[in-house]
Amino acid sequence: MLTRLIPWIGFTAALLILPLLFDSILAISVLNQMAIAIVFALAYNMLLGQGGMLSFGHAVYFGLGGFMAVHALIMIEYETVYFSVTLIPLVGGLFGLLAAIFIGSFSTRKAGTVFAMISLGIGELIAASSLIFVDFFGGEAGVSGDRTFGPLFFGVDFAQNVEVYYLAAFWVLVATLFMYLFTQTPAGRMANAVRDNPERAEFIGYSARRVRFISFCASGLFAGIAGGLFAMNYEFLTEENLNAATSGRVLLMAYIGGLGYFIGPIVGAVVLTLMNSLLSNYTELWMLYLGIMFVLTVMFLPRGFAGFIMMHQMAWYHGKLRSLFIPYLITGLPALIAVLGVVALIELAHTQEELLHFLGIPLSPSSAISWVVVITVTAVAVNATRRSLGQLKKAWEFANEAAMGTRE
Amino acid sequence: MAILSLHEVNKSFGETSIIRNISLEIQEGEKHAIIGPNGAGKSTLFHLISGRYNVSSGTIYFKNHAIHNRAPYEIARLGLARSFQVTNIFPRMNVFENIRCALLWNSGYRYSFWHLLGREAELNDRAYEVLQEIGLSDKALFPAAELAYAQQRALELGIAIAGGAEMILLDEPVAGMSHSEAESAVELIHKVTEGKTLVMVEHDMNIVFDVADRISVLVYGELIASDTPENIRKNPRVQEAYLGEVAADA
Amino acid sequence: MLEVFIFATLNGLVTGLLLFMLASGLTLIFSMMGVLNFAHASFYMLGAYFAYSISSYLGFWTGLLVAPVVAGFCGALVERYGLRHVHKHGHVAELVFTFGLAFLIEEIVQFLWGRDTKNYQQPELLDFPLFTLFGQEFSAYRGFMIFISVAIFIGLYYTLTRSRIGIIIQAAITHPHTVANLGHNVPLIFMGVFGVGSALAGVAGVIAGPVLTTFPGMAIVLGSIVFVIVVIGGLGSLAGAFVASLLIGLLQSYAIASDVGMPDLLDLIGVSFERSHPLNDLWTLTLPQIAPILPFLLLVLVLIFRPTGLLGKREE
Repeated sequence: MLTRLIPWIGFTAALLILPLLFDSILAISVLNQMAIAIVFALAYNMLLGQGGMLSFGHAVYFGLGGFMAVHALIMIEYETVYFSVTLIPLVGGLFGLLAAIFIGSFSTRKAGTVFAMISLGIGELIAASSLIFVDFFGGEAGVSGDRTFGPLFFGVDFAQNVEVYYLAAFWVLVATLFMYLFTQTPAGRMANAVRDNPERAEFIGYSARRVRFISFCASGLFAGIAGGLFAMNYEFLTEENLNAATSGRVLLMAYIGGLGYFIGPIVGAVVLTLMNSLLSNYTELWMLYLGIMFVLTVMFLPRGFAGFIMMHQMAWYHGKLRSLFIPYLITGLPALIAVLGVVALIELAHTQEELLHFLGIPLSPSSAISWVVVITVTAVAVNATRRSLGQLKKAWEFANEAAMGTRE
Repeated sequence: MAILSLHEVNKSFGETSIIRNISLEIQEGEKHAIIGPNGAGKSTLFHLISGRYNVSSGTIYFKNHAIHNRAPYEIARLGLARSFQVTNIFPRMNVFENIRCALLWNSGYRYSFWHLLGREAELNDRAYEVLQEIGLSDKALFPAAELAYAQQRALELGIAIAGGAEMILLDEPVAGMSHSEAESAVELIHKVTEGKTLVMVEHDMNIVFDVADRISVLVYGELIASDTPENIRKNPRVQEAYLGEVAADA
Repeated sequence: MLEVFIFATLNGLVTGLLLFMLASGLTLIFSMMGVLNFAHASFYMLGAYFAYSISSYLGFWTGLLVAPVVAGFCGALVERYGLRHVHKHGHVAELVFTFGLAFLIEEIVQFLWGRDTKNYQQPELLDFPLFTLFGQEFSAYRGFMIFISVAIFIGLYYTLTRSRIGIIIQAAITHPHTVANLGHNVPLIFMGVFGVGSALAGVAGVIAGPVLTTFPGMAIVLGSIVFVIVVIGGLGSLAGAFVASLLIGLLQSYAIASDVGMPDLLDLIGVSFERSHPLNDLWTLTLPQIAPILPFLLLVLVLIFRPTGLLGKREE
C-alpha cells in the first residue's frame, strides 16, 4: 500500500520544492505554464489514451472554461458575486463540463474518424463564433479580469505569481489525483475496454456510446479546470485559447509524452512547456524543431517518451539496467553531436546576422570555413552513430533476456 | 420451456438473402449444436440473435422478451452471452481485467465512477474464481494480446461465461486448435455450461455428437433439419447436403 | 440583384471546382489507404510556393507544368518513407502523423520562403476581362481556372474508368490483397496514387495562388474546409465530394454576397430586441458574418443526422 503512495508523495514534494529551487519570476511563470499544461494534457488523454477517441477540438472546453472563469473574476470584482478566487478553477471546470455534456450528447455516438471530424467541426465552429459573439468572448481583444479581488485566502490576495503557483499546484494535485482514480473505477475501466474493442464491450452489457459520453464529460470537466487555471494565471483569454492551434498543441503534448501511460501526458506537458519557454529565447526556429521532433516521435517512438522509459522495465526487472549505460553513451554522444550539427546547419542557413553564436562557438554564414566545419562534424557524427547502433542492439538484447524458460 | 425462439426469421443484405425463413425453438438447459457447410449462414444467425444485425423480417424471443433489432448490450443484460469465431478480447488489458470487466454489469456497478475497483473484494475474488475455472490464473497479469492462441480462446470463453449468463452462444470455440487443446477446451465447455443453455456452432462432428442434445442443420440459410443426434445421422437430406463423407469415416 | 446572383454563382463555381480538385485527391487517398491525410492541403500550399519560385524565373506556364510534378514527387516520398512506416502503428498514429506533417510543412515553408505573403502574379496572357456583365468584369483568369479544373476532371474520369491502370487502381482501392495476388505491385500503386493526389493538390495551389494569396497559412484555411467537404460528401465517395464541393463553394459565395441577416428574419415575425439585450450578438447576426463558419455548421448537422455523409456508403 505504501509503495503505491510513493509516486504521489514524490509528486507533491516536487510541486512544493520546485518554486524554492527555481524562484526567479521567469521560472515561476514557466512552472505555472507547466501546471496548466499538465492538467490540460491529462484531461485530453482521458479521451485519447484511455478512451481511444481522437479529438481535434478539445481546446473548446479549455477555452470555454477559461472564459467563464474570467467572467467570474469580473463578477467578483464588481461584487455581483462573492466567493474566493481559489474556487475559480472549479468554475472553469463546471462550465467545461456543461459544454461537454451538451456537445457530447450528439458527438459521442461513434468513435474513430467520425468523432475526430465532428470534434474538428465543433472546434472551428466555436472558435469562429467567438469572434461573432463579442459579449461573452470579447471579440479580437478578448476578455480580461483581475484576480486580486474577493475575500482574502488566509491573508493572500494572489497578486504575486508565486501565490498563484501554489494555488495551481494544489489544483494540479487534486485534478491529477481524481483523473488517476477515475481510471480505477468501472467507468474508467470500461473506457479502456471500449477503446480496445467496442463491439465486445457491448456484448458484456455496456453501451459503448454511454461509456464514451462519460469519459467525454469527465475530460471536459478537467479541461475546464485547466482553463480556469489559465484564467487565474494570465487573467486574460482570447479566441486563440479556443482555436485549432491550441487543440493541436495538447495533442502534441499527450502524444509526445506517451498515450498509453498515465504519466505520459505529464512528461509531454513538461517537455513542451520547456521547449516553448526556453528554446524560444535562443532561436526563432523552435517551432520548426518542435515539428521535426513531433514527426520523428510519431515515426520512431510511437509510445512517446514515457513509452521509451517504460521499455526499460524488463532490463530493470533483471537488474541489468546498468549494462546499458556505456552502450547508450557510445551511441548517445555522437547522436547528440549529430543533432546539434544539424541544428547548427539550419540556424546558419536561416540567420540574417553576420555572426552566429552557436553554443559559444562563433559561426558565420558567409564564411566557407564555418560551413565546412559544421558539415564535416555532422557527417562524422552521423556515421559514428550509425556504426555504434550494432553494439547498442547487442547490449539491449543482453539486458532484456531473462532465463529464457520462465516467460511463457 | 423454450428459452429462445426464432419465428420465420429472414435476413438479406441488399439483394442477397442469407437467412431464409428460419423457425427454431431451443429449450432451457439444452445443449444445441448448429452445423452446416461454410457460408450456410451460421455466424449470421448468431449475429441476428446477439443483436449485431437486425432481422429483415421475423421475430426472436429470449425468455419471452423480444430481442430482434435490439442493441447488443440490451440483449447481453437479459442474460445472453456469446463468444466469437475470430478471437475478440480486450488486447491491451491484462487477462484479469478482461474477466473483471465482463463481471461488472452483472455485479451491479453500471457506469459508476465512484467505486475504486481495487477495493471491491467480492468482485476481485469472483474474477479470480473465473480465471481458475478457465485455467488462466497464472496468466492473470499478462496482456491479453500476448497469450498463446488456445489460451486466448479460453479467455474468450471466460469473458462469455463470467457474467453468469443463462444462455451461451459459442461460435466455433475450438477452431484452429490442436487435438489435445480441443479436448481440454471441450472439457472446459462441459464444465462451465453445466445447468445453462448452450448453442454452439461447430464443424468437428465428434465434438458435436459428444456435446449436443439436439442438432440443427443449416444449408444456404435454410434450416433443413432440427432433431436429436441419432435422427440427424439418419436423415437423408442431411446426409446428402453435409454429412455424406463424414458418415463414411465415423 | 441578378448581377449579384450571376457573379456569386460564377465565383462559387470557381471556388467549388478548386475545392473539388483538393477533395478528389483526398478522397482517392482515403479510399485507398483508409487514412484522412491532414497534410493534403500542405501539398496545395507547396504547389503554390513552388510555382511562385519557378514563375519568378521561368514564367507562369513553366510553373504550372513543373510545380505539380515536384509537389507530387514530395507526396510520393512522404508515402514511401513516412506513411508506410507509420502504418503498422495503427490508424490513430497515421492520422497523428499526417497532422504533424501538416504542421512541419508549414514550418518548413516559413523557413524556406519566409512568413510574408508572396507576390505570386497571374500570367499577363490572361490579364483581361473575359466578359463584362452589368458593368462588372469577370476576369479571364477565373475562366481559365474553371477550364483547367474541368479539363483535369475529365482526364481523371477517363483515366480511372477507361484505362488499364485506372481499373487496377479502382480494384486496388477495395481489394488490395487480390490485386497483389494478381501480380501487381500494390505498394507502388499506393505510392503512385498518393503522389498523383498530391500533384492534384499542387495544381490547385498553382492556379489558386495568385487569386487566394500565397502565404504560410493558406493550407490551414483551405484544409479544414476540404475535410468538411470530404466528410459531408461521404467518406470515400468521389461523386459525394463533387456535390459537396460545389454546394459549399456556392453556399459560401451566396452568403457573402447577400445582405440578409437575423434583423430581417426578426422583422418578418415582428420581433425586435434592445441593443442591451444579452444575446444582442445573436440578433444582429448577418449572413456574410457567418459565411466562414457555414461549412462547419453543415458538417456538424450532417454528422448528427446522416453520419455516413450525403452519398457515403451505409454501415450496418
